[in-house]
Formats: sequence, structure tokens, C-alpha cells
Amino acid sequence: MKRANIRNFCIIAHIDHGKSTLADRILEKTGSISKRELKSQMLDDMEIERERGITIKLNAVQIKYQYQNEEYYLHLIDTPGHVDFSYEVSRSLAACEGALLVVDATQGIEAQTLANLYLALDHNLKVIPVINKIDLPNADCDKVIKELDNIGFSTHEIILTSAKTGVGIDELLESIVQLIPPPTGREDTPLRALIFDSVFDPYRGVIASIRVVDGSVKVGDIIVMMETNATYDVVGLSIDTPKEKEVSSLSAGEVGYLYASIKSIDDVKVGDTITLKSNPASIVLPGYKEMKPMVYCGLYPIESNRFEDLREALEKLKLNDAALTFESETSKALGFGFRCGFLGLLHMEIIEERIEREFNIELIATSPSVIYEVLLTDKRKIIVDAPNKMPDRSIISKTYEPYVKTSIFSPKQFIGPIMELCQDRRGNFINMDYLDEDRVTIYYEIPLSEIVYDFFDKLKSYTKGYASFDYEFIGYKESNLVKMDILLNGEIVDALSVIVHNDFAYLRGKAVVEKLKEMIPRQLFEVPVQAAIGAHIIARCNIKALRKNVLAKCYGGDVTRKKKLLEKQKAGKKRMKMVGSVEVPQEAFLSILSTNNKT
Amino acid sequence: MMENCYIHIPFCSHICSYCDFCKLLYHEELVDQYLIHLEKEIKEVYRGETLETIYIGGGTPSSLTVNQLERLLCSLDILNQSQKIEYTIECNFESMTEEKLKLFKKYGVNRLSFGLESIHSKNLKFLERKASKDEIREMIHLCKLYGFYNINIDLMYAIPNESLEELAQDIAFVLSLEPTHISTYSLIIEPHTKLFINHTNYIDEDLDSKMYQLICNQLGDVYIHYEISNFCKKGYESIHNLCYWKNKNYYGFGLGASSYIGSRRIHNTRSIRKYLDDQYILDYEKLKKSDIMSYEMILGLRLLEGVSKEEFRKKYHQDIKQVFPIERLLSQNLICDNGNIYIPVDNMYISNEILVNFLKE
Repeated sequence: MKRANIRNFCIIAHIDHGKSTLADRILEKTGSISKRELKSQMLDDMEIERERGITIKLNAVQIKYQYQNEEYYLHLIDTPGHVDFSYEVSRSLAACEGALLVVDATQGIEAQTLANLYLALDHNLKVIPVINKIDLPNADCDKVIKELDNIGFSTHEIILTSAKTGVGIDELLESIVQLIPPPTGREDTPLRALIFDSVFDPYRGVIASIRVVDGSVKVGDIIVMMETNATYDVVGLSIDTPKEKEVSSLSAGEVGYLYASIKSIDDVKVGDTITLKSNPASIVLPGYKEMKPMVYCGLYPIESNRFEDLREALEKLKLNDAALTFESETSKALGFGFRCGFLGLLHMEIIEERIEREFNIELIATSPSVIYEVLLTDKRKIIVDAPNKMPDRSIISKTYEPYVKTSIFSPKQFIGPIMELCQDRRGNFINMDYLDEDRVTIYYEIPLSEIVYDFFDKLKSYTKGYASFDYEFIGYKESNLVKMDILLNGEIVDALSVIVHNDFAYLRGKAVVEKLKEMIPRQLFEVPVQAAIGAHIIARCNIKALRKNVLAKCYGGDVTRKKKLLEKQKAGKKRMKMVGSVEVPQEAFLSILSTNNKT
Repeated sequence: MMENCYIHIPFCSHICSYCDFCKLLYHEELVDQYLIHLEKEIKEVYRGETLETIYIGGGTPSSLTVNQLERLLCSLDILNQSQKIEYTIECNFESMTEEKLKLFKKYGVNRLSFGLESIHSKNLKFLERKASKDEIREMIHLCKLYGFYNINIDLMYAIPNESLEELAQDIAFVLSLEPTHISTYSLIIEPHTKLFINHTNYIDEDLDSKMYQLICNQLGDVYIHYEISNFCKKGYESIHNLCYWKNKNYYGFGLGASSYIGSRRIHNTRSIRKYLDDQYILDYEKLKKSDIMSYEMILGLRLLEGVSKEEFRKKYHQDIKQVFPIERLLSQNLICDNGNIYIPVDNMYISNEILVNFLKE
């Protein structure tokens, strides 16, 4: 393969702007795949990915393309489209020389369009702006062209496409060849290959997606992972066309897969550099970062006898997901479960959904928590990733919580509501940038804990769906935090405890008990619901006793139907958890974070 | 043993807003057709047993003409009746006449069941029913004159915007009629009814429960509370309805009727077209022993006296407590045991919470 004829590129876009459909169309146009084989969104493997229309795991496909009687090899590296996976995005960008920046003709530029663009520019990629979905009746190309112009693209660079109808795809392919530089790097220097993704295959072990930067690797080589120092024999190399094709070697500039009977995904860290044991490189490729969970929550099986099944499910998911962490924990209310760490909220939701769907385990998720730091009176600093690990107030000297910088991108008429939302969430205004006369990016510093639950939903509803947002971790700040307990029928339910800011505790307590009153159905007896800080009760209400649950009428024609009604009620009870003597629906455990602070 | 028979007459001269029974608007020729096929169905299925009860329900059986009623009762003459037969027909006050009473007498009907529901015009308007106190008093008087002493009155409560005072007045009126039997029901908003389609809301759960208590208190002095919603004078339990609650077999003939024959629960079609094409049966379910035991409890616990442990053992050769979580429910004071397992009256209105424990896993 001639290096001058290789183009490595990725597609970046805001979520839902048509990235995967565009990839499908490119595959189809170049004959890599026939229309018949093309399930919509070919590159998205997992069921959930296809349903949610988002890309979770990465893919790299080799496309052969004839241009002016030369054969070119285009490597399309797919990237995930969500803020939780921004590190994975940055690693796949590092494997490319160019990027297609896709903007939806009906939506225009959004927060992640900008975030991804800046990431691409940071990696010195050649960016080709693409306006997609121009076939839609509400497409407004002139407006989007103007927006792109405002962020520094000139009109003649912009390519107009419709991934749906195929318009503009030929022009796009030509631009990829003409504008994106071929890979640099030398074949005669020691091997350096970037790992930009990995998946676990039950037969072959971990399969690493790699971009060879320098040198070459062939089957049989002994390789070393430069960060983890793990050593393996290369068993196989392949490329995706998008059918898998075995190759004997991969050289500088090429993209492909490597497998080496690797049992543990922890040995194959995204961002690590692979080199040869016999002729090692001296300098690792830049940018390696350990992926650390940012958000924690407890996952418990509703049926307590499925604890071991849940462990097995988490272990299986972990094989493919180095960022997922878990350790067993015990809750008085919920029994045995796991404390799990995630990159972010989407990551958490996806894991929960996969456990429920692929492993058929019904879960109770406790409210998500961030990692707090606590300075004790004896000057020790401890890490608190669950409300129940919060030490007694008497031995706490100071508490710290993680902050993020959020950039919220929105039409300007929503500035007021957005600022109100951010103030409510204890945000500090930093500044505001106008992209053009209509659209603005608002920057806030906000505690991560304030955005982990329903911030995005709230933002969407405050702005009629127009705003988008992105965030990055900026560090810890001192904050007056307390643990708030919830008592049902006089007993603390550990799974409902939350860490809150002291100034907001009273309002939160009131909102939480009212929300629980709404969520928990009437019981056979009256149940008091209380919020407490230490021994001090700050809010209370009562769930009334059940007064009526009866089949008033039952005669000959009804009996079968009445039994079915009872069976339905019984099935409903199965989704409840007995906490002491109170039946609590699983949603209640999560609901306590979704209370509106303003109530 | 088969001792009970239900006959369904699915015709009404007006469709009430809450009704989800199998019913059609009265149409003379359609009724004529129907009676022919009903007779056919009975002849095909009935095996000649001697019956203890016959119950003609609806719909509104009394909405048929005298002539049609005579044909109906005549065709039922092939059913063998025991000496003590309880023979009930459902009526409404609007369509009942002296002539029809005479006819019922002639064919051996000995129990009448009237839907009264409420005497407040606001409530009747909501339910889309009519009745005047005077007409009702007169009709009951007439019934007694013709020797119909065994009379049931249906009373409805928990009607939106109904007050406790209104209900108390309804109860007092019903008591003044001195029926032998009173059935009371809180309004149920069933799918496919006008009320459901109009998004009618239930009244507050606490008020509903207070209404039930009011009924139990007011009627309890004079009547025996023997089933969740049913009250009677001593010796006047509805023998026919007891067959359902005691999990006995019964025939069900007519459109949308259900039978319980052997261990089969059979459901007739609700499509008049199919019925008139003699395709009576919609589906049936053959019950396993565990299902039958579940039914025994779910139905039997509707009765204040509950289910006899001794009879359960005789019938199923197992103790109730081996089959169902009796001990736990007893320890929670949800049920009681005096030789019979029963739900105390204070828990009757939340009995579903108890009954779900009698379903198999």
C-alpha cells in the first residue's frame, strides 16, 4: 500500500446530525458494501447504539476508492458522539489526518460541533466542513453557511450533502483525497502504534484498534504496551472493509486491528503506544490519559437472588469497557449490590439498559453521586464516592466537590432561562460569546453534582430543545456539604441518602419527601417520610394509608377477568422493593434527584 | 355437580354511561332472532341436570315485549327445576308492567332484581338513568301484591360529586322499600364505556372508603353483610351468586355469557353476528388444580364467612396452609381463622392486597 494514497479521517458532529448515515452512504458509494447488505447505520454494532442513534464503540473501515486512475485507501475512523466519551474521541482523532465536520442543515452549529472542532484543530487535523440533510424541507443552508463562515470556514470549502439521497457524496470523496494530507511517519524507525479502541472477542481475546504511526508490525512479532508494560505475541492482524480481512502486516500510516490472545482489557488501554520488544521505540505517543470514572451509583438487583448474575453481567460488560468500574457493596435497604463508576451519565444509562436488556436483570439504581473530597480534622484527606461513606460531621474539617466548566450553546432569546437554571444549580457565570447576532455560548462553572442528573433534560425544556451543552472537568473547590438522610416509617433508608450543599438542604429535603410521597403508593398503614441531617429532621410528610383496593363486583361472567386484574397487580408488586415494611417502587430511588429545587 | 344456570339477555332500551356488560340497543327483530338461537344453544349444551338456580340477567331482560318474554320463558321450560328453585330475573323500573309480573308468576320466577342505583336526579343524569321515587314505590308494592317477596335492589355509590348525605338518603329510601336483598357497588369506570371515553375521574379514595363504611353501618343493623358488596335478610342470600363465590359449576347461555363446566371456564362470543351464526363459543380455558385452588380462595374470600379449612381439605386433599401463605397473612392480621379462613370486614375494602397472595407464582 502506497503511503501517499492513504487517507485517514474521521467524522465529527453533534449528536444526531447524521454522522452514521453519512458513513453508510460513503460505504455504499465506494462499493464497499452493497445496498442490500447495508443495514441502516452499518458502523453501529450494538443494538442500543442503533436504537439510540449514537455510536458507543469505535470502528475503523478501509474503503477502496478510484480517483483519476489511482487507487486510494480511505480509512474511516468512527468516533462516539457524546461528551462522556470525549477522551475516546480525542484518541480516534489522534489516529487521523483529517476530519469531516458534519453540521445538520436544519439545526446549524451546536455545542458539540464546536467542542469537536476545537478538539480536531488541537490535533492539527485538516477539517472539511459538511452541511448534511440538505434534502429536508426545513433545511436552511444559507444560515448554516453563515454560521460556518463565522467560525472561520470560507464558503467555497463547504460541501453540501444529503446522506439520505446521496447528493454531494462524490464531491465529498474527491475532497477527502485532495485536501486531507497522506500520513507522515517512517517505516524504518521502531514501531509506534496508537491504540484508539479495544473490544473483547470471546474467541480471540481483546482486539485492539490501532493506527501505526511509525515502523511496522507483523504477525508473530512480540509487542510491548509502553504504559502497562504488558508483552504479547501478535496472533493476527486484520482490516475492516467492512468485512474483516486478515493481513500479514500493518505499516506506518495504516489502520487496522491487532489481536494477541490478550485476556484482560486492562492491558490494552486506549491511548497507549504499542512497540516491538526486539526494537523498542524510546518515546511514547503523546496524549495518554487514564480514564477515570466521574459518576458513581449503586446498582442492585430487584430480586436479591440475582446478585451473582449481576456480577457476571458487569464482568462481561467490563471486558469491553475499560472505563467501567465496580465493587460490591451492601445496603441495609436494598441488600447486596455493586457500587459502579462511569465516565458520565450517558455511560451510566447505557450500562443500566444493557444489563436490563441483555442480561434480563431488573435493577434498582441509586441516585448518582460524584466523588467528593473530605479533609478530616486530623488533616487526612479522604475520597467519598457514596453518601454513606461520608464521615460524621464532627470529624470533618472541610469538604470539596468537583466542578466543571460548561459551555451552553443556544439562541440568544433563552439566555434568561439558561442563567436562571445555572444559578439554581449553584453555577458561577464566567462569560458569554456571541457566535453571530443570534447565537451565543454561555460559560458557567457548575458543581458536577448539579449536572449529573437532569440538568440536560431541564436545559432542553427551558430552551424548547434549542440549547446544547458540553462540559469539562476543571477541578475541586471547597463547598459546605452535608449528608441528608431519608427516613421511611422512622428508619433511615441508606440507599436514599444524598450529599447536598448545606444552604440548599432545607429546600431539597422538602422537595425530596414530597416527591417520595408522590412516588410511593399508599401502604396498608400510614408511613411518615422524613428528611434529616444528622438527628435533625428538616422536612416531613405522610403517605396515607391505603383505603381502597378491591374488586367490588364479581359474578359469573367476570371471574376470569378479575383474576387477570389481580395477576396484573401482583406483577406490579414485583417491581417494588420491600424496604422494612414499606413497598417502594424502583423509580423512587432515582427520583429523588429529579426534584425541582424551586418547589 | 351442575345446579346453576345463567341466561343473558343483552338488550336495553337505553345504554347507561357506566355499563360495560355485554349489551345492545333494543331492536325487535334482532331480539326475535336472538331468542331462536338462544334456545338452540341451550338444547345443544344442557345435559338435563336438575337446577337449583336460574338467573336471567342482562342487559335489561324486562325491556323485551310480553310476547318475547313469554317465548323466552317457554323455551327455558326444558330446564329441570328442583322443588326449591331460585328463579331470578333482572328488571328495571321503567320497563316493568303488571302484565309482565303476571307472566313471570306463571312461569315460576320467584325472585326479582331491580337496578335502582340512586334517587338523586343529578346522579341519575350522570349515569344516564331515569326513575322516580313514587313509581318505584308503586312498582315494589305491585310486585309484593303478586307474591314476589324476594326482591333485590342495586344501589350505586361513589358517583362523581356525590356527597355522603346523598348516599345516606339513597340508603334510607332503599331501606324503606324493605327488599330482601341489597347489592351495592362503587362506580367502576370500565374501558369502552362513555364515562371512560370522557375521562371521568374516580372520587377521592378516602371518601369512597367512608361511603362503604356508611353503607356497612346503615345496612348492618337490618341486613346481614355476607359478601363484599352484598347484604340480605336472614335466609335470603342470592343462592345463584353464591355458586360463583363458592367456585361451583354453572351454565352460562347467551351472548357474552360464561360457563364453568367441569374444570373448563368457557367464554361465549360477544359478537351478535357470530352468535346468530351459531358460533357461540369464543374460547375456553381448562384449569389446572392449582388454578382451581386459587379461584376457590379469591372467590371464597369475598364472602364474610370466608373459606372452610375442612371443606377445602375435602375438596383438594391438601391443607390451605400447605398451598398458600396463610401463616404470614395471619401474623399480619390481614386475615383471621376460626375454622374458616376469612377476611375481617375492616380489611374487605383492601382485599386485593390480600388476594394477590393466593395467586400461584
